[in-house]
Amino acid sequence: MKNARLRIFVTIVSLCAVSLVAPRCGLLYAQQQTSVEAINTYAITNARLVTLAGPTIERGTVVIRNGLIQAVGPDVSPPADARIIDGTGMTVYPGLIDANTSLGIPAPTPQPTPRGGQGLLAFLTQPSTPAFSSPNSPYPPGLQPEIMAADLVRPGGEQIEAARSAGITAALSAPREGIFIGQSALINLADDTPQQMIIRSPIALHIGFTPLRGGTYPGSLMGVFAAIRQMLLDAQRYDQAWQTYERNPRGLRRPELDKSLAALVPVIKGQLPVVMYADTEREIRRALDLAQEFNLKAIIAGGTEAWKVADRLRQQRVPVLVSLNFPRRTTAPNPEADPEPLRVLRARVEAPRNPARLAAAGVQFAFQSGGMTNMSDFLNNAARAVENGLSRDEAVRAMTIRAAEILGVADRLGSIEVGKIANLTITRGDLLDRNRRIAHVFIDGRPVELRPEAAVGPPSAGASGAWTLRLVSTEGREYDLTLNLQQQGERLTGTLQGALGTADIANGSISAAGEFRFTARIEYEGQTTEATFTGTVTGNEMRGTVQIVGRSPASFTGTRTGGPPSRAGTQPAPPPSGSTDLSGTWNLTFDLGDQALPATLTLRQQGERFTGTLQSALGSSEISDGAVGTDGFRFTTNVTFGGESFTITVSGKVQGNQMSGTVSSPRGTVSFTGTRPQGGER
Amino acid sequence: MKRQAMLLIASMLFFVPAAPAQTQSSAPTETLIRNATVLTVSRGTLRNSDVLIRNGKIAAIGQNLRAGANARVIDATGKYVMPGIIDCHSHSMIDAVNEGTLSVTSMARIRDVLNPTDVDLYRELAGGVTTLNILHGSANAIGGQNTVVKIKYGRPVEEFIFPGAPPGIKFALGENPKRSNFPPLPGQPRRYPATRMGVEETIRDAFTRARNYKAAWDEYRARLARGEKNLIPPRRDLQLEPLVEILEGKRLVHAHCYRADEILMLIRLAEEFGFKVRTFQHVLEGYKVASEIARHGAGASAFADFWAYKIEAYDAIPYNAAIMVRHGVNVSINSDSDERARRLNIEAAKMMKYGGLTEEEALKLITLNPAWQLGIDDRVGSIDVGKDADLAIWSGHPFSVYSRVEMTFVDGEVFFDRQQDLVRRAELERERAQLEQAEPNRPPAQGGAPPPAPRPRRTAYEHADDIWDGGDHDQ
Repeated sequence: MKNARLRIFVTIVSLCAVSLVAPRCGLLYAQQQTSVEAINTYAITNARLVTLAGPTIERGTVVIRNGLIQAVGPDVSPPADARIIDGTGMTVYPGLIDANTSLGIPAPTPQPTPRGGQGLLAFLTQPSTPAFSSPNSPYPPGLQPEIMAADLVRPGGEQIEAARSAGITAALSAPREGIFIGQSALINLADDTPQQMIIRSPIALHIGFTPLRGGTYPGSLMGVFAAIRQMLLDAQRYDQAWQTYERNPRGLRRPELDKSLAALVPVIKGQLPVVMYADTEREIRRALDLAQEFNLKAIIAGGTEAWKVADRLRQQRVPVLVSLNFPRRTTAPNPEADPEPLRVLRARVEAPRNPARLAAAGVQFAFQSGGMTNMSDFLNNAARAVENGLSRDEAVRAMTIRAAEILGVADRLGSIEVGKIANLTITRGDLLDRNRRIAHVFIDGRPVELRPEAAVGPPSAGASGAWTLRLVSTEGREYDLTLNLQQQGERLTGTLQGALGTADIANGSISAAGEFRFTARIEYEGQTTEATFTGTVTGNEMRGTVQIVGRSPASFTGTRTGGPPSRAGTQPAPPPSGSTDLSGTWNLTFDLGDQALPATLTLRQQGERFTGTLQSALGSSEISDGAVGTDGFRFTTNVTFGGESFTITVSGKVQGNQMSGTVSSPRGTVSFTGTRPQGGER
Repeated sequence: MKRQAMLLIASMLFFVPAAPAQTQSSAPTETLIRNATVLTVSRGTLRNSDVLIRNGKIAAIGQNLRAGANARVIDATGKYVMPGIIDCHSHSMIDAVNEGTLSVTSMARIRDVLNPTDVDLYRELAGGVTTLNILHGSANAIGGQNTVVKIKYGRPVEEFIFPGAPPGIKFALGENPKRSNFPPLPGQPRRYPATRMGVEETIRDAFTRARNYKAAWDEYRARLARGEKNLIPPRRDLQLEPLVEILEGKRLVHAHCYRADEILMLIRLAEEFGFKVRTFQHVLEGYKVASEIARHGAGASAFADFWAYKIEAYDAIPYNAAIMVRHGVNVSINSDSDERARRLNIEAAKMMKYGGLTEEEALKLITLNPAWQLGIDDRVGSIDVGKDADLAIWSGHPFSVYSRVEMTFVDGEVFFDRQQDLVRRAELERERAQLEQAEPNRPPAQGGAPPPAPRPRRTAYEHADDIWDGGDHDQ
């Protein structure tokens, strides 16, 4: 067998060499080369092994070959061809599984300004142009159970990288929106092609209970249940009708083909599980009622208040994919604010206790990230569940073997056993200790590159401060910039100003050695484009290179001209000279064409950053990324309408107590004006 | 510092919120309310009388009653006992009000979206209310299916459902279903119907479809009975099934309406299809067609004196309820508002002033009459032996603005107790203080978003009819 493959390989190589033909040949070549030549054998030696298949091995070796676990034990010796990783002081866990995500599935693409240019209200009420629509489905997007995550996933990307760096090796992935959201796939968070990533598909049909928008039925929670019920009934009949017809078509009008109903048939037969999104007690009860009514094989996702329904979950044998995105207070103290409702205060305290209570009640559960933005919360919040009574063993299982069991893949994933997929998470320190570090991650038997872990530490002066930069393009053109950086642990935030426009920096990180990286949207030779800065800080000097999309790279050098800004909170920095202080309450009017939408904007400025709230008929929201410079201000916020959340970006200019600018959203742009009443709170 | 942290963790681990007072499940099987003025509603006022509650039912009414040794005895000297108030038009405890996308949404069910933790329920108990008719909104000519509940606040939602209450449905006529006050949003087409003619046609069309649907199933069943094989059954249609139930007299129609002409229209249409409208809701011009409503056999569920909030609500008078009562209509006074629901006793009392109803007639407007309208008058609505022990003890006559509810019983259990409520307020404050110390509830060490500015809660409740009709405001 091996010889045969080698022969093919040699043939292909010679063919390529001789003819130097199509790129296809090159691709084949690359694939063959990988399978034959790349290192595919690893041994992690002298490590503590939490196999979950038996007792923990205090000192042992795991051998990985060709993507699978080949050997594991205290007395295993590494094979001669293995690359050896000395695991002294390390613990090897089965690769962590995030049991519900949308990883790898592209976000919906922004839409152009809607017809008629009616602005904000119009974009909010327009039918949501869903990311995905199934051709020839008789149902609107959102009610198309035939959508397959496996058809949509793509490898790579920021979020997958972040999850991997947090120690997560595999994830259940489903699209974000809809009632019948579609069928999920279990994916490995590595590999070069979607085909390689998918471990198993489909895993389950996902049901969200979010009404459709834009006047499409169902537009309310009541309608959602009615629509689900009708489609499940229709699927039962569809199955029955086709069976009757196929048995004896003569004399029967043929039933209509319906791919959406066909996709529900395995669901109503209990062959395909249903993941139902439900957090509060009543949401969970409703989901369980629905599961009972149609005899569905249910899995609850979210499950924040699952402990209140624990008895019923156990009786109905319904597992829970518990979100580790525990709520916590994010608002600053303010004596004038309404007290927070008791219900909210209780929920924040109860959430980390939920897993321990589920374990005690005998409810099967696994952990999921629940849309958290900072992936290091995944392990940190699992640790909080342990502090609130969950055993360490159960916590580790909830991130590994329990997830594999619930998702039906325990025969190939979730523990360190010979023959299983070689997904491993290797730490220094216990996985559930706050100061553990992810040392290595293996996915499909290969080590993956990890990003520096974003440790939450005190603000560090390392790179913080104002920098003057000179950027030199390959063609020799020079640009002067001002860079304001704020370092917090390994995180880097700040703004860029000058010859390349004004921008917030994004995805900023910096290592202990002073190597940094961030991206920014810059105006470069007449175009707005994304630039990636990488470089090193040494004392008050920095140097590095800029990768600009579609251009040859440029280099830069910089010096620190201002000290690190005083720490926010202890002593608010005065607003930068030459710009107005935005703090206060502003009365805004959004111009929606034939209508005006009034709003109130409350801002608090600290240095060049500001925070605040935007209130209007569409609700109240906290603003984020607020930044102000000499040429204006900018912030983003989320507006909720019809149960959906939109991110809008507001930018504008201030003159005294007047402001004006534009609001842009995925659906279009509208303008606004505002005034700050005199004598108002500043 | 370390010790403080330890204390905090300890308090978080061991602190268990006290069970709400109203959820105590160890209700004695017997309760004796002694020496009260009992407003039976069905048989007048009984002075210095006792009411004995046993196993959730009213076991005896009279003087010097005796109870078992374990009975709870409540001295109600100088106090009044009246049946639990029944609100025939409520939108409390629901997470959705209107499925406003279509003009016929009979497949939508209020039962699917009940929220038993809505604090309005507790406030309603504190107003002596024990039963609610939870209705779909009025955005559609044919709305969703309603649910009748007993307010068992603190219990799982299943326990709220009024056992044996006949199923019902919401209809709506006039401005709301034709969307006159709700212009289409930019980029969206106008929803049919846009006129009162269209509303009638929408309902007629739906019932015509329901008749055909029923015929299709009847035919299928007949062929099956004849032994025919190889049949594919008709599709089950959740929109038409409830309409068939109406045609079969199994589901009660509660029709939101204002104008006399549309009331007559629905009576004609219902009689054409052979069903009865159970209640006309709001029915502000009911006084103009009271005889016709009485002849049809429908009830009327109205406001006491709430009007002029839109064109079709201009021709209203406070004598509406009394005139309809005098013409033989079964009339109730409803709230359509979480706020008004707490003081339906006063709304009923107004009807003694406007139109001169007797005290008993006025009491019936919020007890026995709505019980009949919901088909539950054999269970609740008066203080009679054998009925459910749903009642409230008032500090004075419930028609006095100075009276307040001291205790509210549902199925013989106390779900509101003013004395316990006062104790519980202190408990809640202690709980709040403790919770605010917990780590996830503390504000971020630095920065953090400013908290939302204080704003009135649910302002729209001031215009209950409009907001609930709106659909677009929902959610």
